[in-house]
Amino acid sequence: MIGRRRIAIGWATLASLVLLWFALTTWTGIVSAGRFPAPADFWLSLVQITTRGYAGGELFTHALHSLILVIIGFLVAVTSGVPLGLWMGWSRRAEAAVNPVFLIIRPIPPLAWIPLAILWLGLGDAAKIMVIWFAAFVPSVINSFSGVRTIERPIIEAARMLGTPRWRFVIEILVPAAAPMIFTGLRLSLQAAWTTLVAAELVGALVGLGLVLNMAQQDIYPGMILVGMLAVGVLGFGTTWVLGRAERRALVWNMATRD
Amino acid sequence: MIDQPLKLRETIAYGLTGLGLFIGIWTLLSVSGLVPHQFLPAPLDVIARFFALLTTPFAGATLPQHLASSLQRYVCGMSLAAAVGIPLGLLMGWFRLLDDVVSPIFEGLRFIAPIAWVPFAALWFGTGIGGPVMIIFAGAFPPCLINAYRGARFVDPHLIEASQMLGTGHLRTILEVLLPASVPSIVAGLRVAAGLGWQSLVGAELIVAAAGVGFMMVQAQANVSTPTVMAGMIAIGIAGMLIDVLLRQGEAAILRRRGLQA
Amino acid sequence: MGSIRFDRVNKIFETTKAGVKALDDINLEIGEKEFVAIVGPSGCGKTTCLRIVAGFERPTSGSVSVNGKPVSGPGPDRAVVFQHFALFPWKTVRENIELGLRNKNLAKDRRGELIAGALNLMNLESHADAFPHQLSGGMQQRVAIARAYVLDPEVLLMDEPFGALDAQTRVMMQEELVRLARVNPRTVLFITHSVEEAVYLADRVAVMTRRPGRIKEMIDVKAIRTAENWNQFQRIEDVMDQDSFIHLRTHIWKSLREEKPEDRH
Repeated sequence: MIGRRRIAIGWATLASLVLLWFALTTWTGIVSAGRFPAPADFWLSLVQITTRGYAGGELFTHALHSLILVIIGFLVAVTSGVPLGLWMGWSRRAEAAVNPVFLIIRPIPPLAWIPLAILWLGLGDAAKIMVIWFAAFVPSVINSFSGVRTIERPIIEAARMLGTPRWRFVIEILVPAAAPMIFTGLRLSLQAAWTTLVAAELVGALVGLGLVLNMAQQDIYPGMILVGMLAVGVLGFGTTWVLGRAERRALVWNMATRD
Repeated sequence: MIDQPLKLRETIAYGLTGLGLFIGIWTLLSVSGLVPHQFLPAPLDVIARFFALLTTPFAGATLPQHLASSLQRYVCGMSLAAAVGIPLGLLMGWFRLLDDVVSPIFEGLRFIAPIAWVPFAALWFGTGIGGPVMIIFAGAFPPCLINAYRGARFVDPHLIEASQMLGTGHLRTILEVLLPASVPSIVAGLRVAAGLGWQSLVGAELIVAAAGVGFMMVQAQANVSTPTVMAGMIAIGIAGMLIDVLLRQGEAAILRRRGLQA
Repeated sequence: MGSIRFDRVNKIFETTKAGVKALDDINLEIGEKEFVAIVGPSGCGKTTCLRIVAGFERPTSGSVSVNGKPVSGPGPDRAVVFQHFALFPWKTVRENIELGLRNKNLAKDRRGELIAGALNLMNLESHADAFPHQLSGGMQQRVAIARAYVLDPEVLLMDEPFGALDAQTRVMMQEELVRLARVNPRTVLFITHSVEEAVYLADRVAVMTRRPGRIKEMIDVKAIRTAENWNQFQRIEDVMDQDSFIHLRTHIWKSLREEKPEDRH
């Protein structure tokens, strides 16, 4: 549990940083407005995008669109990746067959799929989801696979000794035992999904936070860049928090402490 | 219920089947025209293009030249990330106050994907080397910091007590106790950082570069030269893999010296 | 019901090119409801014997049969209690015990009855809805024993079940096992390092040589227990105080000593 001292120091640091921000920009002008926005610039940008809109929409529109794409992409990736990883984990044959293809695809950084996705599907949502899928797919597969392979042998033997039929074994033994690692994979997949989405939108998009960032950079509008970045951070935090809650509920039996 | 390991020939047989299926379907889709050739070149076309790019320039340079350019940025960014992240992590692991101050900042910034720094990078550095270096730093810095921090924080308390009993001062403790004890964690962190850094590099080059493999791919996409895009992906993949393999060897060698791995 | 027979069993593990011979011509007959303990030096193959009966390993040559039928795989008729409990961490105590019963397709009411009985038998009623990590080692092992017992197996296989427990808990569990064995006897194959434990618990004790393991000696403890009336004593320390107990124990110790290479004269 976070100590009180630590929280107090945290707030103090935050306050100091805000003061520093004012000091460097508004009060002294050491950092010019063209480089990094002053608090006032930031505020004005925020007001603009929430009321009048920017880059074709209001903040809410852009943020929601990005969020929905991330969620869809994430879900597609994990619903395909986790079962594949689990299957490769318990079937040596599946592992042997899928591995070569997987090893070829794996080293390609997710963002490297963006140009191809744009070629194939244009600048719309489909291209974004495809890239997110590729990015978020790999960590889920690898971690689910690991989760199965690291199940302790006595657990499997006990299940066999108790006469557990195959389908029950998968649902009640395999998946729960692999669950901690599956969730690790989910967390990595979510991170990958956000990174990829923002990057894809930066390269080319018609709506979304990445587009906001891109336009703001082209318009030399640092205040808006900051707004965009913070929006990305807030949504990233929010989705991670939700996943964390789901994890805690699913793994309530797990006494291992996670950082 | 969980299979026994396969014999080697079985593994190879299944592997070749899987690979064969993949390449077969790909070739079929492309050659038959089910997917326009423009969008899905046949595997052989991609390989041919890859080799052609080794000597023929595209978007201003040959593939090896683009790669060298990318690697240059990569090394700069990684060195910076390690040079700042590792010492800072160790210090944070040792000095609680520093930890309390830096951690909240770090935790807050963590949720902003490194790639989101690109607009500022473009604004501050244009298409110069600073931009990609900054993005690589943003990606590679967290693992360097976190792993150094964890290594130092979770050093066996008995080692610390022993060193205190021997009257060791702060600096020497950090250099001669914490740092060596954290090496396994640091090295593991470097491997993760290398991967993330490489990914950040690619992302940055897609947007703010005038050379490099990512830049080459974006140009190829604009020119609808799919084989070039795919060749670029292959090059990036191979380079990334080699970097990881090298680091793994390094890690294994270091751990072996320490007696932590056979 | 519940007899076990080892017939010229050999076991070679192919972990190295030459192979490691774990068991060398094991012949052993365990009768119905007989409690047999196997003691021997580390690595002598005693656990392998248990694992073959359990169906987790196959003999390289020879056969192991239960009730005359050769063993073909694991199953609830030969329930196993593992050294490190092997409880499912994501299931509560109750759910852990219930799994085997569900696999047998027993009706819900019947399962409830049996589980209640097992919880009562092993003093676990107040912990029925706890997760394993919330329990001490001794309690976890009680759950493992309950999980095995509730199947009403013909054969109970116990692989150093008290090895992971601290000394005091261990003694308590030994006394409980004796109590259980009197209330609810069945065939037991019990693997242990501890000579005292073997002599205290078993009807017969098999002494194994070091690897490759052979059965060096079979000792009839039951005869002595009956003759000296050890059962009159409630407490383990009183039994272990008997001269007859001490003689037996020392005899087995000496036999095991010969198996340690440094002491060979």
